[in-house]
Amino acid sequence: MKKSFLKAGLLGLLVAGFFIQSANAQSDPTGKRRVTGTYAITNATLFPSPGQPGTKSTVLFKDGIILGVGSGISIPAGTQVIPGDSLFIYPGFIDGAGSMGITKPKDPEKPKDFVSSAPPDELAGITPWRTAVDQFDPASSEVDDWRKAGFTISHLIPDGGMIPGKSAILVLGDGKSTNLIRANTAMAANFRGSRGMYPATASGVMAKFRDVYQNSTLALEHESLFASNAGVTRPKVTPTQSGMAPVIQKQIPVIFEAPKELEIRRAMALQKELGFNLILTGLENYEHLIPVLKSSGIPVLVQLSLPDDKAIKAQKEDGVTDATQAQYARVKEAYEAVLKQAAKLEAAGIPFAFSTSGAKSGDALKNLRTMIENGLSEKAALAALTTNAASILGISRIAGSVEKGKLANFIVSTDSIFNEDAQIKHVVADGYIFDYEVKKKTSNGNGTTKPGEGISIAGVWEYQTESPAGSTGGELEFTQEGAGYQGSITYDDPSGSGKAKAPVKNISVNGNQITFEFDVNAGGTDITVTVSGEINGTTMDGTMSIAQFGSFPLTAKLASPSL
Amino acid sequence: MKKLIYIVAAFLGLGWNAQAQTPKGSVLIKNATVLTVTQGNQENTDVLVQDGIIKQIGKNLSAPSGVTTIDASGKYLMPGIIDAHSHVALDVVNEASSPITAEVRMKDVVNPFEVGIYRALAGGVTISHAMHGSANVVGGQNATLKHRWGAKDPADIIMQDAPRTIKFALGENPTRVHGRGNGIQPRTRMGVEAVLRNGFNEAIQYKKAWDTYTSAKSQKGNTTPPPAYSERLQTLADILDGKIIIHCHSYRADEIYMLINVARDFGIKKLVFQHTNEGFKVAPEIAEYTMGASVFADWWAYKFEVYYSTAFNAAILHRNGAITSINSDSAELIRHLYHEAAKTQRYGGLTDDEALAMITINPAKQLGIDDKVGSIEVGKQADLVIFEEHPLSSYAVPQMTFVDGVKYFDIQEDKDDQRQLVAATEMVEPIFLRADEEAHRCMQDVDAYFEAFQGAFLEEHHH
Amino acid sequence: MNHILKTIYTLLLALMPLVVLAQIDGDFVKPRSGKFLLQNATVVTITKGTLTNTSVLVENGKITQVGANLSAGDAEVIDCTGMFVYPGMIDSGTRLGMVEVSSVPETVDYAEIGNVTPNMQALTTINPNAEAIGVTRVSGVTTVLAVPTGGLFPGTAALINLNGYTPDQMYGGFKAVVMNFPSSGRRGRFDRRSDEDIKKEAEKSMKEADEIWNNAKNYLELKNSGATLHYYPEMEHLSKVLAKELPLLVQVNAASDIQNAIQWVKDKDIRVIFSGVAEGWRVAEDLAKSGIPVITGPVQDLPTRQSDRYDAAYANAGKMAKAGVKVALRTDEEENVRNLPFHAAFAAAYGLGKEEAWKAVTINPAEIMGIADHYGSVEVGKRANLIVATGDPFETRTQIMHVFIDGYRIPLSNRHIRLYQEFLERSPGLKAN
Repeated sequence: MKKSFLKAGLLGLLVAGFFIQSANAQSDPTGKRRVTGTYAITNATLFPSPGQPGTKSTVLFKDGIILGVGSGISIPAGTQVIPGDSLFIYPGFIDGAGSMGITKPKDPEKPKDFVSSAPPDELAGITPWRTAVDQFDPASSEVDDWRKAGFTISHLIPDGGMIPGKSAILVLGDGKSTNLIRANTAMAANFRGSRGMYPATASGVMAKFRDVYQNSTLALEHESLFASNAGVTRPKVTPTQSGMAPVIQKQIPVIFEAPKELEIRRAMALQKELGFNLILTGLENYEHLIPVLKSSGIPVLVQLSLPDDKAIKAQKEDGVTDATQAQYARVKEAYEAVLKQAAKLEAAGIPFAFSTSGAKSGDALKNLRTMIENGLSEKAALAALTTNAASILGISRIAGSVEKGKLANFIVSTDSIFNEDAQIKHVVADGYIFDYEVKKKTSNGNGTTKPGEGISIAGVWEYQTESPAGSTGGELEFTQEGAGYQGSITYDDPSGSGKAKAPVKNISVNGNQITFEFDVNAGGTDITVTVSGEINGTTMDGTMSIAQFGSFPLTAKLASPSL
Repeated sequence: MKKLIYIVAAFLGLGWNAQAQTPKGSVLIKNATVLTVTQGNQENTDVLVQDGIIKQIGKNLSAPSGVTTIDASGKYLMPGIIDAHSHVALDVVNEASSPITAEVRMKDVVNPFEVGIYRALAGGVTISHAMHGSANVVGGQNATLKHRWGAKDPADIIMQDAPRTIKFALGENPTRVHGRGNGIQPRTRMGVEAVLRNGFNEAIQYKKAWDTYTSAKSQKGNTTPPPAYSERLQTLADILDGKIIIHCHSYRADEIYMLINVARDFGIKKLVFQHTNEGFKVAPEIAEYTMGASVFADWWAYKFEVYYSTAFNAAILHRNGAITSINSDSAELIRHLYHEAAKTQRYGGLTDDEALAMITINPAKQLGIDDKVGSIEVGKQADLVIFEEHPLSSYAVPQMTFVDGVKYFDIQEDKDDQRQLVAATEMVEPIFLRADEEAHRCMQDVDAYFEAFQGAFLEEHHH
Repeated sequence: MNHILKTIYTLLLALMPLVVLAQIDGDFVKPRSGKFLLQNATVVTITKGTLTNTSVLVENGKITQVGANLSAGDAEVIDCTGMFVYPGMIDSGTRLGMVEVSSVPETVDYAEIGNVTPNMQALTTINPNAEAIGVTRVSGVTTVLAVPTGGLFPGTAALINLNGYTPDQMYGGFKAVVMNFPSSGRRGRFDRRSDEDIKKEAEKSMKEADEIWNNAKNYLELKNSGATLHYYPEMEHLSKVLAKELPLLVQVNAASDIQNAIQWVKDKDIRVIFSGVAEGWRVAEDLAKSGIPVITGPVQDLPTRQSDRYDAAYANAGKMAKAGVKVALRTDEEENVRNLPFHAAFAAAYGLGKEEAWKAVTINPAEIMGIADHYGSVEVGKRANLIVATGDPFETRTQIMHVFIDGYRIPLSNRHIRLYQEFLERSPGLKAN
């Protein structure tokens, strides 16, 4: 695990030691335990909450709680003082919905009497009893990456099928604690169908969602009848139904992942029909829906990621026909519209927040600046990352601003974070201080790692690919062999159930670019599958191409580094 | 023009809670040869449309103030073409994963941005029946769409006043997907019948259980708990109650006859057969017991169950008194249904009115909307098409298409690139080298149900 | 009336030979040759204008006279008053006769395994009794090019007439080696390769095509030098293109591919025909300049790109013809080849014009294939591929009254028609008796 920290580019995990509450008659022979839990950052320029001007202030915090903020704070003995004279302090960012550090639990084996038209809920992706807490690893390198980008709290969405389980709010502090702020905050939902069983498509998912909702409602009715009248058959409440109960009773909302315009409408249609409380997350295309979102009052979490500008940059000025020019213009128009979406939400008066799912931590601040260049105010941008998110998640009392009594979560930067040259020097999360190397001005922006030459790919990677046949995945394993690599891949056996394994050939690594091939035997003929991708730290982004069939996006994560 | 209407509509409160008002237009079309379909042809005649409704048909009508006049001298005006079998504007076609998926609604997955809607308008089609696919015996519920191109809300292209319909499918597709593909019934046409009878009988029990519960619920000291909820069985019960029209994918005469018998046994009268390539063999039965058949003009031999077909199918069905329509089931064919209907003149010698009825009033009857659309009559919704040349001529070219009196297609004015959504990351626009990929979608999304690569074999024609 | 008929039938039966098989009822009408006079028609010759009140004499499979007041002599006279005579239509790209039921793999014979298989002969696989042949020819399509599909060089296409009992009887005198030109386009909405990958793959395929081509060149050079070469049927067939024994039928569709294909064939001293050419309208000038003839279709097809005008495929042939490209049409179909006249009508209505559309299904393909001496128009000396219709055969309301292929009078029946005859008034009807 330690190695992956380094790979992710985190250079020093300074001071972050173990602050053990209960004495267990052990000292700390590692010598890494921090000496104190009380800190003061003195005389920094503090922006306590969105819209407030920066003032020279000292922030004093102890055991994760802000004890005082202001210019005349008296600093108690035993406080470690960090001079902040040239530094800027902002409230720590809050991720409205994320998946950092989340690992999907293994699917159970198919039962012997499995029928694809009526699979058990757990196989069909209906697991409302699950919780993100169980899937979260606070020591994950993804958590490091996002913290480095200024995030101190994340609302974590469990991974899984159409109803993967309940989300939880966690603080991104020391990796040795559960870091839980609140469990069971919302029921996650999405439009993903299950492979090879019911429900397989978005239309099936919507029907099944109604079914689960209605039967969970009836189960509660049955339970209350059983509780009040004699002679009533015992209710046989399923784990799904009891898991859904807090949703039915409106104790928690459903947080629906709905990136595309029509998916947003579908989630809203289900809400209207069934009446649950709704939070929309992962919004990617929503420009046309702003008036509808506004009048609905439904909280929205928009994607922090932005489309890449490769297509725009590839547009040529000269030597293209009028028709191509017109095409270019439309792509450009679409691109610019996406960049302006957040500003339009602000203009409509919608207090939105961001979701980090699908975004790259290294691009977070850059994307934010792009949105600001396209009309979003700095105040709204900061609010989306702090106060709005806190409000949507119901944690305004403890988070979202730098104030006495709130959680000690903030960002310490070398300049205004909206300034392109700004670099994050420290992130304070849960009262722990994380230090980052500040590069000279000539560095490449916000300090992302530059892929080294001959990057090591050795290890086991878990990959996922999306094809018209649905999403599929498996494991990729590379071992170093002299100067090159050997490897193997597992994939869904086309001839039936289970996984097949094939050797990987023609592996080539060039900088952070990787390509390789493997053969799939389908119906007696070998089909060559070509994979090419780009490695960034522990993730791979690429495409899987099958001649005659087309190409499909592929992502992979390094699961166990270095054999 | 239509863009403006939407902007205006947005200001007038196209909001979350307010039911969106779809645009309605007013227009006076002058001096056309009006092919009313139901009331003969009228030369040099004017049609006045106000607020989306046909108000007057006659000579020398004058336009009320503010109403645009269109000179259609030398041109033909016919009712908007209705396609009783389409998959245009659907994000998902098949929820193939169970032999019965009556609970699935195509209305959930309507996509108003699909350029296929515009292309259909350019072929004079104003209404399409967006159907679930044919992978399962009882598929999902369909959506009847009005082609209000430019709408962003799927609800605005759904014909809200059309009755509910549902897709059934017999023969090769459901037996291949389930029996052979996944080892569950049905594998044979016997199994298809069993699945249907099981479903309807369970629906009867379901309805009874809920009736019992509903009447017990209000009584004091009630001990009857609520039964499980099933939209699947409720939908089948609604079919039994005559609330839903069945549109059944079928080819062979024996399976058509089977469903007629099942329907008669369960008292179901609202039944339309789709494709029905061997319908001609049981034309008297179809005519007597059902709402007819919606067929291809001439498709055959793409699979074994359509090998013994005849292009004279529509003519034989019609001559035997069955309500007959010609459909597309294809994003390509939907663009020239007028030409497909015209083929009934080569294959069976139908008259102009008979041929035109196959793409207007007859499909309207089969969709339960013939009181609103399907002919040019005063009081009906103003879905209209102006043609250069008679629409049954192979040289006919649609000129303008109106839905509710609003012009959505004009060959003279409309811009080339009609895409409503363009990807911000698009480098090179994809090229579709054969219509097949886009056009034939009856089995689309079935792959999602099959294991990854195995699904590829479904790529060929399987309507 | 019925009475009279019955009497006649009884008489006829009495006259029939006594050896009757009890299980065989009725006569089968076969195609028959002979001397026919198509009398007093409007003759649309295609190449020599439209002639009213004109007769056409068919003898020994050929058109022997065209003119007014021809004497019948011993010819069978077919009164064509009020009717129109046209040359039989040619579909320049089909899989007709190579498949029976497309979803039944056992009946699909147009796609062989392998990337370089020019030795696969379409003519070999033609089933003269394929059901679709009878269904097609009554529409007036008398001749089609049967084209194999598959890899880079999938096989050798052959022109066939839609009458005969063996492939050789059907052969129309034209063959071509087919090439599927490597595509550099995105293959549709599921093709998510990066632009770079697409480019790389296209370059790889082109390199491969060049290598194979050079192989064939070497083969031919060595063979011509008298060397004894190891049996190599692929190169043997491919080298026929280099030796100009056979033309190369290049299937190419995307605009950039068409431009690449023009460049690719430019310096090769071979006969070339392009086929498909769906985006020909985008590069019509380049095509015209190259002088390469084009077979295009299907006309009733979707545009290749989402952003294209809805009628891009309808208008394609017209735009190319206007730019000066010689255009023939194809359906690229199997069982639906009978729709060729309707594809032609759409091309006509969307810019090609009726006259050019007619040429595109008659004399143009004949000229492109080098068989214009025998096919493509109503002229003395040409093979008697003729249709007689009540009007314009492109119109659906027109009935095709007579079809002649190689001078054979074709019975206007097929399974579709027989099913109509049997089921229009089914007996028993609704109630079983």
